[in-house]
This record gives sequence, C-alpha cells and structure tokens, in this order.
Amino acid sequence: MRLLLVEDELDIQSFLKRSLEEAGYEVEAAADGKTAQRLAIEGPFDILIVDLGLPDIDGISLILRLRQSGVRAPVLILSARRSVDDRVHGLEQGGDDYLTKPFALAELLARLRNLLKRNTSSGNEATRLRVLDLELDLLRREASRGGQMLQLTPQEFVLLEYFCRNAGRVVTRSMILDKVWGMRIQPDTNVVDVHIYRLRGKVDGKGQVPLIRTLRGVGYVLKDR
Amino acid sequence: MFSKIDNSRVHSAAWRISLWATLAFAFGTTIVFIFLHRFVAEDIQRRSDAWLSGEVETLGDVAERTPKDALYERVVGEVAELASKEVPNKARDEAGTNDSVFFLQEGTDGSLKLWVGSGDGQETLNAIRKKRMVPDQPTDINVSGFSVPFRVASDRVDDGSLIYLGLSERDELRVLNNLRLRFLFWAMLIILFGFAIVFFTTRRMLSHVRRITDAASRIGHSDLNTRVPTTMRNDEVAQLALTLNRMLDRIESSMHQLHTITDSLAHDLRSPLTAIRGKLEMSLSAAADGDRSEPIVSAIDELDRLTDFLNKSLDVAEAKADALRLTRSEIDLNELLSIMIDLYEPSMSEKGFEVRLLSQGPVKIFADAALVHRMVANLLDNELKHLPSGSRLTIELRDEEKTASLVLEDNGPGFDPDVLQHIFERRVKGRDSNGHGLGLAFVDAVVRAHGGTVAASNREGSGARITITLPLASEQGSRSLVATTSFI
Repeated sequence: MRLLLVEDELDIQSFLKRSLEEAGYEVEAAADGKTAQRLAIEGPFDILIVDLGLPDIDGISLILRLRQSGVRAPVLILSARRSVDDRVHGLEQGGDDYLTKPFALAELLARLRNLLKRNTSSGNEATRLRVLDLELDLLRREASRGGQMLQLTPQEFVLLEYFCRNAGRVVTRSMILDKVWGMRIQPDTNVVDVHIYRLRGKVDGKGQVPLIRTLRGVGYVLKDR
Repeated sequence: MFSKIDNSRVHSAAWRISLWATLAFAFGTTIVFIFLHRFVAEDIQRRSDAWLSGEVETLGDVAERTPKDALYERVVGEVAELASKEVPNKARDEAGTNDSVFFLQEGTDGSLKLWVGSGDGQETLNAIRKKRMVPDQPTDINVSGFSVPFRVASDRVDDGSLIYLGLSERDELRVLNNLRLRFLFWAMLIILFGFAIVFFTTRRMLSHVRRITDAASRIGHSDLNTRVPTTMRNDEVAQLALTLNRMLDRIESSMHQLHTITDSLAHDLRSPLTAIRGKLEMSLSAAADGDRSEPIVSAIDELDRLTDFLNKSLDVAEAKADALRLTRSEIDLNELLSIMIDLYEPSMSEKGFEVRLLSQGPVKIFADAALVHRMVANLLDNELKHLPSGSRLTIELRDEEKTASLVLEDNGPGFDPDVLQHIFERRVKGRDSNGHGLGLAFVDAVVRAHGGTVAASNREGSGARITITLPLASEQGSRSLVATTSFI
C-alpha cells in the first residue's frame, strides 16, 4: 500500500512515517503543498494523509487541486483546528474522513483501513462473522462461543460485532464511542470500560481463553489467533 | 370587531400609535365643533332676534294706526297671522298650523287685550310678567305647556299698552340638532377612517422594523454573516437597518479575531501534543514488560486529560464571548438521552445508583450535535463522579410550548451551598471535587450558545437539580399526553 503523508510538523511527520511503515505502508512524506502536489501527480498512491495547516496552501485547497488533477485516492484529513464546520467542510470537499489532533495511532490506522476498505468495497456483506470459536449471526442478532449461546443485550451485540470486524486490531475508546454509540465525545469517566468489562464477563467464561484483551493506554483488542 | 383582535395586535406599537392619534384627532375635532356650534347658534339667535324686533315694530305701527274699533282685533290679528308665516328656519311641513308664533297685547291695566296664537294667552302673559322684560331686548320665556322656550320681543304702543311677539325656539333647536347629528355621523366616519389609515401605515412602517428585529434575532449567536434586510428608501427605518448592519460588521470582525486567536492557540498546543502522544505510543509498543510501560500509560492518560481540558477551555472561552461556532442539525433529544443513558447506565449501576429517563416521546431541537453530545456527557460525568452509592438520578425530558425542558434530579448530597451561586462559572467546583471545574461551565456555554437557559438548585431535603431549557426545532403539533416511562 503506497501512502502519501502531507504534514509540515517534522516531529509529527517522522513518528507517523515510522509507525505507518511498521504497520506495513510504503510511505512518501511531504512537508508542504507544492511537494505534495508534485508527488501525488507523479506516482499513484492508494491513500493520502493530509494535514490542514500547511505553510503554503490550505489543506482543503490542496485536496481540491489534487482531485482536479485526477487523484482519486481517499484522503484522511488531520486537523488541529477546533471548529466542526471545517471538518464537515473538509468531508464535503472530497476528503473521506477526518481525525483531530492529537489522536491515537490505533485510531489513525483503523481509519486508514476503513477508507481503503470503503474504496474496494465488494458490496457483498457477510451475514455471519467468525473469530476463533466466537460466532455471530448478523441476521438473527445472536452470538455463540464454542457452540454455547451468549445472552447479550442488543447494545452488547453491536459492541461485539464491532470487535469481531476489527479482530486482531487495536480499537480505542473513542473509536468504540464513535462506531457503537455514534458520538465523538471524550468522557472523563470509565463508561466504555464498564461496557467492555460486562461484555468480557459474558464472552470470556470460566476456563475459556480470554478473547478481549486490554492494552493499557491504548485500548482493546479481540484476539484472532 | 374588537373582540376578534388578538392580544399581540392590541399590544403592538401600531395599535397604540393609531389609538392615541385618533384620540387626539377626535379631541381636536370636538373643540373645533364646539366653537362652530356656538357660532351657528349665536347667528341663528341674532337673525331671529332681528326678525322679532322688526316684526314687533311693524305690529306696533299697525296697532297704533288701526282705529280701536270692532275691527281692530281682526286687523291686528291677521297681520300677526301673516307675520307668523314668515318665521325664519321654519320647517316646511308645518305651514298649515301656527304654534310657533304668538302675538299678545297687554293693556295699560295689565289685562290681556289681544291674543293670537295657540295655547293659553293668560298663561303666556303671566310668564312674561314674571320675567320683567326690557323693551327692544328679546328674551327667552318658558311657557307652561310648551317644551321649548319662546323668544319674545316687546314694544310699547303710543296708547301705553305693550305688545309682545313670541317665536318658538323649536325650529332653531331643530336646526342645531340637525347640525349636531350630522357632525356626529361625519366625525365618526372620518375618525374611523383616520384610525384605519394611521393603523395600516404605522403597521406597514413597523413591519419593516419587525423584519429587522426578526432577522437580527435570527443572526443571534453564531450566524454572523447574514445581515438584516435594508430598504431602498432613506427613512429612519432604513437608517436603523444600516446601523445594525454596520454594528454586525464590527461584531463579525471581532468574532473573527477571537476565532483566529483560539484556533492558533489550539493549533500551537495540539501539534506538540500530537507529537508527544505519538512518541509515547511508540515507546509503549517498544516497552514490552508491564513495569516500564506503567509510567508511559499514565503519561498518555494525563495527556488525553490535558487535551480534553484544552478543548473545553477554548469552547467555554468562546461561548462566554457568545462566539461558539455551531453546525446545527435536527436532533431528537429523547433518542440522544436514551443512547447516552444506555452508555452511562452500566457505570452508574456499577457505582450502585439508579438512573431513569422520563420522557413523552421525541423532542426535536435544532442544535450542534457534537456539542450537545458533549454537554450531556458532561452532565452525566458530573453525576457519576459526585453521586454516592445508593442514589437515584431522574432525568425528565418535557416538550413545553416553545422549549424543550431537561431536568436532572438526584437525591445525593446536593451542591455545595458556597459555590451554588457560581456553579456555572469557570473553575468553580465543590470542595471534594477533583475535576477541572469546567464541566458545568461547558454545559452553561453550550446551552447559552443555543439560546437556552440553565439553572442549578438544591432540592428541598436533599439532592441537586439542574434545569435546562433549549428552544424547540419547530413548534410541534399536540401529541398524545400518554406518558411512556422507560425504566432502565
């Protein structure tokens, strides 16, 4: 996967480049709009990360120009700005997703994956999800582990479904809040953890291998091997 | 007509202006009419007095020249009869009978010598005597049996007898009465017409002002790039619109400045925070064992709290300056609260307290979804942090006439009375609170930015109450009053 990273803060650029490369992306970096434009038109990229606060050109104008010159790859917008209308504006301008700074690396990676998946969507959704001995029937909204039916509330089912769809990958609290409850909030209490704790109580029964792992300071991960 | 006019119109400035203008106009017209009436009455009086004096003189002459024989009475009587037919202001249909004029001759001994006219001559003579008339000076005499007085002129004949000619004032009064009636009719008509004209012109004029007011209140907190409507005319109302627009220009420019400052502050702080967080995360993944990762984890937590604090501070700062930028959409508060309570309920029951939502169905507001989400999260975080185990939290959502009302009540210890007055200010918190003191300030900021109100109080007995009102998206039709209570 070839990725173009447009970020003027060299500090951020360097750690992003390293983390993205560790995650398996082939990263080209640009620190200003001019370079970014040249690179984007030269070589085809699968995905772009664009910071809005560039020294020479506004991030949104850059995306617009790239779109005009035929760049079709999805864009993840990074914004240090505060106002929501800029974000919406950004989405409308053809950038596919946005992330406000500071962010968790896991969330950045998850959003990149989502963008790539959206771009190559088969349109043929599975009706069953399977992770190890955990099985989810998406039509009947039923979950079982090792053949044993799990008594889940509808909310817990949605939560578990989200975990299964991202099995093996880190999900952060704000990602869970966004995808499961549909809100971008940052509660300063442990509301998400209590939900996970309850879900874990039902999924990881006595004597079973625990599937939901906590990664302190980062988030959670559903083991897939 | 008046009963149909609704209250708002009666209280409108146009109504009051036209009422006062009409009153002033009616008052002025009445004064003018009083003078006119007096002038006309005096003129009629003068004319009839002149006629009376002339006629009484003629009759005196006739009485003097006519020999005092048997024919005297007939001759003088006929002359008097003739004179009565030339009465001024006489109504036409009364030509046949004569009850408006009398002729009376009083002998030197005070006896009634000659009487021409209807009614009783002696009665009339008695009434005249009572009055003590001055010759050549017509006087009003009230004769019993007649409702209107007679105007009477006298003349002394050479033989020493007095002759009197009386003219009923009935016709004169009829003329004046006519005048008054006509005046009343036309004046009412003109006054009503004037009222209508004044009312509709003022209302038209003031409707411009109302349009300006409506537009100005719509512009409100965040939508600062629209302007109030201006007209092509160059009157006071147009000046008002221009002045308002110039003021809005200035406000917009200072808002813009404030946004620039908060944006660059946010940017300048967030960039290093991003770099720090990223580096911490990288070292966290490098540090495999638990002991070394612990300080990194807590550093990331601290950093996230700092970020949250920064966001809230900037939001509160902007909101205090009425400069919070809103991206509004229609939100169902009922749905939002259900989701939120669903999110918070496990944590709350974990802490051993109960939460329930009382709602009567959808309550739609037009608001910034992200901000309202964060506001409700702040309220629930606040309860979660401060309520002791075993408490009960009730959230009641009501759809009042034009506002959505949200009331949070708990039976916990309530607000610290020392800080209750300033609970929605920045950095105000209870004694044993470990937050930033920004949560409720943020709630206040969001509510105010949406044109709502927020109030905090302690319940009687024990517990805290927070009451929030937010304007409804639109006034919804009456819905069924059956309360569906959802227990969670």
